[in-house]
Amino acid sequence: MGTDSKAVRTPASASRVGPAMGQFLGTLRETSIGLVVPGLFILVWWIAVAAGVFPEAVLPSPLAVGRALVEWAFGARDAGPYSGTLIDGIAASGQRVLVGYSIASILGVLIGVPTGFFPLVGKLLDPLIHLLRPIPVTAWVPLSLIFFGFGFKGAVFLVAFGSFFPIVVNTIEGVRGANRMLVKVGGMLGASKFELLRSFILPASLPAIFVGLRLGIGLAWVLVIVAELMSVKAGIGYTLLDAYSFNRYDVVIAAMIMLGLMGFFSDRIIVGIQRVLLRWHQEVSIHAE
Amino acid sequence: MQNNVIVSCEHLMRSFTSKDMGINHVLREINLQLNQGDFVVLIGPSGCGKSTLLNIIAGFDKPTGGTVMVRGAPVRGPGPDKAMVFQDYALLPWLNARENVEIGLRLQGVGTRERRCIADEFLRLVGLGHAAERPVYKLSGGMQQRVSIARALALKPTVLLMDEPFGALDAFQRAIMHKELVQIWKTTNASIIFVTHSLEEALFLGNRVVAMTPGAVGLTGEISIDLPRPRDPMSLEFTALKRKLFDMITAHIPDRTETFVE
Ligand SMILES: Nc1ncnc2c1ncn2[C@@H]1O[C@H](COP(=O)(O)OP(=O)(O)OP(=O)(O)O)[C@@H](O)[C@H]1O
Ligand SMILES: [Mg+2]
Repeated sequence: MGTDSKAVRTPASASRVGPAMGQFLGTLRETSIGLVVPGLFILVWWIAVAAGVFPEAVLPSPLAVGRALVEWAFGARDAGPYSGTLIDGIAASGQRVLVGYSIASILGVLIGVPTGFFPLVGKLLDPLIHLLRPIPVTAWVPLSLIFFGFGFKGAVFLVAFGSFFPIVVNTIEGVRGANRMLVKVGGMLGASKFELLRSFILPASLPAIFVGLRLGIGLAWVLVIVAELMSVKAGIGYTLLDAYSFNRYDVVIAAMIMLGLMGFFSDRIIVGIQRVLLRWHQEVSIHAE
Repeated sequence: MQNNVIVSCEHLMRSFTSKDMGINHVLREINLQLNQGDFVVLIGPSGCGKSTLLNIIAGFDKPTGGTVMVRGAPVRGPGPDKAMVFQDYALLPWLNARENVEIGLRLQGVGTRERRCIADEFLRLVGLGHAAERPVYKLSGGMQQRVSIARALALKPTVLLMDEPFGALDAFQRAIMHKELVQIWKTTNASIIFVTHSLEEALFLGNRVVAMTPGAVGLTGEISIDLPRPRDPMSLEFTALKRKLFDMITAHIPDRTETFVE
């Protein structure tokens, strides 16, 4: 068939540029397509403000928000209260997320693996985990204030406690779901209980563990903001609240954008690690299709 | 007991009890002996208990009666002396071909350099000397099954157990694997129990073909195959044996059960 042979032939543009260049152009094209809708969104926002649908005092224009963001990040000559404090805010919030999330990841995996693997540990811990999990983490704020105070520790507790649950639950599920066939193979190859866990079950449950880790990092950002809105006196979340009380809506929106960006980039870091560790898993899923 | 007896099953029973179906006697009075260097093929329609029997010999499952011995010692659990080649390969997808073969050796305490040598030797034996570094998920089904065979052989098992190992391969790959398996069996002098429900596969591979039927007490029958190798499935002798084996199995199949023999 004529159409078939045409479809197989390489497109002229791809053959003119090298494969690396072609890939770069492809990525560029995809990225620019991805920017179309956000661009339109900003445009509509701009027009709405310019046409006076919302008063400037309530909804600042994208330009004003951009200016606030630049001033927040780099400072300005007519230095306002937020001028040049962005980096401190990122450091404060980021540190809480990093410490809390690390604790959650380590504990989540350390507790999840034996809970999933040993039936007795599972029977002991399952009820507790499933009773605590439905309590919204924000409900723990008062207790966390009592035990850990208004500072760093309280925020870290909330972040760690909240992101612990998706990690531990997914680890348990991953270990339980790790193919029963692997247990057979491990036994045949002469693996001890410990080796079975280390060399067979743990690698097989990594995909599920990463699902938990990604859910966890999202929650970690939510909770650090909750902590900063409620008690802690520093960080992006605190700036957001503070700017709100001074009617600086340009800074409020700038803070929202920063939170989005930081959540996005921390998720990308985890996805990057996942890509390296789980190359086999992606390929296997692709093959299965 | 003689020295060259590898596996012996005596009065083996296995039944499954369930609330709604009652007791399902899958294996009854199974007596089977595998000698050193035997290539025994277990054949029978789906559901007759071939996998059940193989799993019991491998130590994955326990009989409800009777005894299984490997080299004179009762089977207590799975282990590298009873290597299994699974139908779906059961490789570790995060390792490459060599690492998949090596892992069993590592668990036996074989040193790094020695196990690399052994792994490469067996990969070469199954025709994968060039693919040692390839991640197994990038290998075709036939190549994955070769890795799985190399992994089993590298354990230097007392008995090699194979449960429909070529069931997932296309007819051409299967024919190639049959020839190679016979070659491997000859060069390594392995003792093999091979499960299939294909008459042709059974007659091509085995020096003993043992037939099972669902619900039967004891094994249904056994044929010794003395045809010279490589065997020609088109030859008159081969087709005559096929007829004989088919009749032997179908004569014992109760009409009401749905059964299938290729
Ligand atoms: N774990 C189990 N629990 C209950 N019944 C089982 C179990 N394993 C096997 N059986 C039953 O034992 C019978 C034999 O199963 P088995 O898998 O050994 O058959 P098979 O000969 O290997 O069949 P196939 O050719 O389809 O692989 C079947 O009726 C099956 O339902
Ligand atoms: Mg079976």
